[in-house]
Amino acid sequence: MFAIFNKYRQVFLTGLQSNIVYRFNFAVRGFFSLFHLAAVVILWSAASLGGSGGIGGFSLAQTITYFITLLILQFFISAFNEDYQISEEIRNGLINQFLLKPINYFAYRFSIFVAARLVSGLVVIVPLLFALPVLREYLAFPHDCRVLLFGLPAMAMSAVIQFSIAYCFGLLSFWFLEIQGFVILSMALETLLGGQMFPLDLLPEWAYAIARCLPFYYQMYFPAAIFTGRLTDPTLIFQGYGIQVAWVIALLLVNQVLWSRGLRRHTAVGG
Amino acid sequence: MLHYAKIWAASARYSITRTLMFRGDFFVWSLVELFWMSVNILTITIIYEHTHAIAGWTKYQMVLLVGTSMLIQRFLMGFFWSSIFEMGRNIRSGNFDFYLAQPGNVMFMATTRKLDPDSLLNSLVAAAVVIYAARQLGLDPSAVQIALYALMVLCGVVIHYSILVLSISLAFWLTSAQGIEGSYFTLTEFSRLPRAAFTGIATQILFVWLLPVVMVTNVPASLLVQGFDLTLSAWLFGSALVWFAAAIFVFNRGLRRYTSASS
Repeated sequence: MFAIFNKYRQVFLTGLQSNIVYRFNFAVRGFFSLFHLAAVVILWSAASLGGSGGIGGFSLAQTITYFITLLILQFFISAFNEDYQISEEIRNGLINQFLLKPINYFAYRFSIFVAARLVSGLVVIVPLLFALPVLREYLAFPHDCRVLLFGLPAMAMSAVIQFSIAYCFGLLSFWFLEIQGFVILSMALETLLGGQMFPLDLLPEWAYAIARCLPFYYQMYFPAAIFTGRLTDPTLIFQGYGIQVAWVIALLLVNQVLWSRGLRRHTAVGG
Repeated sequence: MLHYAKIWAASARYSITRTLMFRGDFFVWSLVELFWMSVNILTITIIYEHTHAIAGWTKYQMVLLVGTSMLIQRFLMGFFWSSIFEMGRNIRSGNFDFYLAQPGNVMFMATTRKLDPDSLLNSLVAAAVVIYAARQLGLDPSAVQIALYALMVLCGVVIHYSILVLSISLAFWLTSAQGIEGSYFTLTEFSRLPRAAFTGIATQILFVWLLPVVMVTNVPASLLVQGFDLTLSAWLFGSALVWFAAAIFVFNRGLRRYTSASS
């Protein structure tokens, strides 16, 4: 058991090193996210002025805080280009080496993913600190440490869902030469139903009820809503955990099926 | 002029043939764009469930603005996007030599080589969004107004084209122009906002006047909604000329530095 843990710990450490190399790329990406944040502030400030001074029962500051949280979460848990990396390894035959070794490809990739997000998550704090003087007036986090207690497990499971979806798309390379179309198509869905365009509780009730059953809700919105105090009812949070766990299991199963089916189609050429 | 039209028609024929060869790709990419456009429209709809106006713009005025932004973007993507981005890669790899040997202006040849029929198809959807919003607003634009709107959209395409060519031309100096694609998409986010929403002086100077991404959509949309404004339209027309001239200048300067990369 310990040996297995040690094996993936090494992968994690190597992943950490190779991602630290890209710290500037992450920082630049973080700085560009500030432009996105500027657009968000401009749009929602204007929308809030045109309404009753708030949006959907939340103040402007609470709304902007939601988007800032989303941005931080994105750098900590969302899949960046893991799908393409996996796709590349399949197409170039690089996965052949894993087939011969006592290593689980999912666990190997997931260890690297965790390392990469740890680096990008910590790096994005730098541009945010730069923007803090401007952003400070928009920050309205709840003063209750229970949000951390409830939010962190949701965040961890969201990371697994994020990675599993990317992994699924990567594995599609066993069947398709080009996966970019699928990835961008699903990105549009994730952007909308994951709450990146607007907080999902602004949806009409029936649409919100549907969104709550889909995996996209648990990719990003669920932890963000807990952290920012949009979702406070413990019953609803525990219900959410239940659905989230179900999606984690379902996605892991799909991954397993795709992997074993895909390998049957895979042809390893050369030595 | 006729010579260039013939060259362009040949490229268009080639692109369409290519699309017909990869029909699945065409289908998926058309769907991708359609999806993204729907995401933007849906967002507007949801926001207006909770507010009456964004910087004085009503729901359908905003849809008209977003539709105009889509229209400009689809034209840009349909006619130039692939070629301009390939140009960046070709400068790095040395394949750019190919364009130097062609019978025409290098910038024209390099930036009009590929069409994306999926984006052109979706420009019809964007146009439909604009028409739908105009009808909902009860607008009845005259033929002159429609012609002026088209001219302003054209100016918008020219400005976006010039900004892109200019940024990708930096590859002549920097070798790699990677990452520009992502930053460009961030900029387009601003083009879906009404000008009056930019209340801060810094954002106004940067996004409204220096980088005219906001004006590019606001001028044509306001032309339909509020009527023709000579100063703003003339300003947009003028900045299209200035940006285009700047793009030509930087491109040609860069071209002088091009040393190829073949061994």
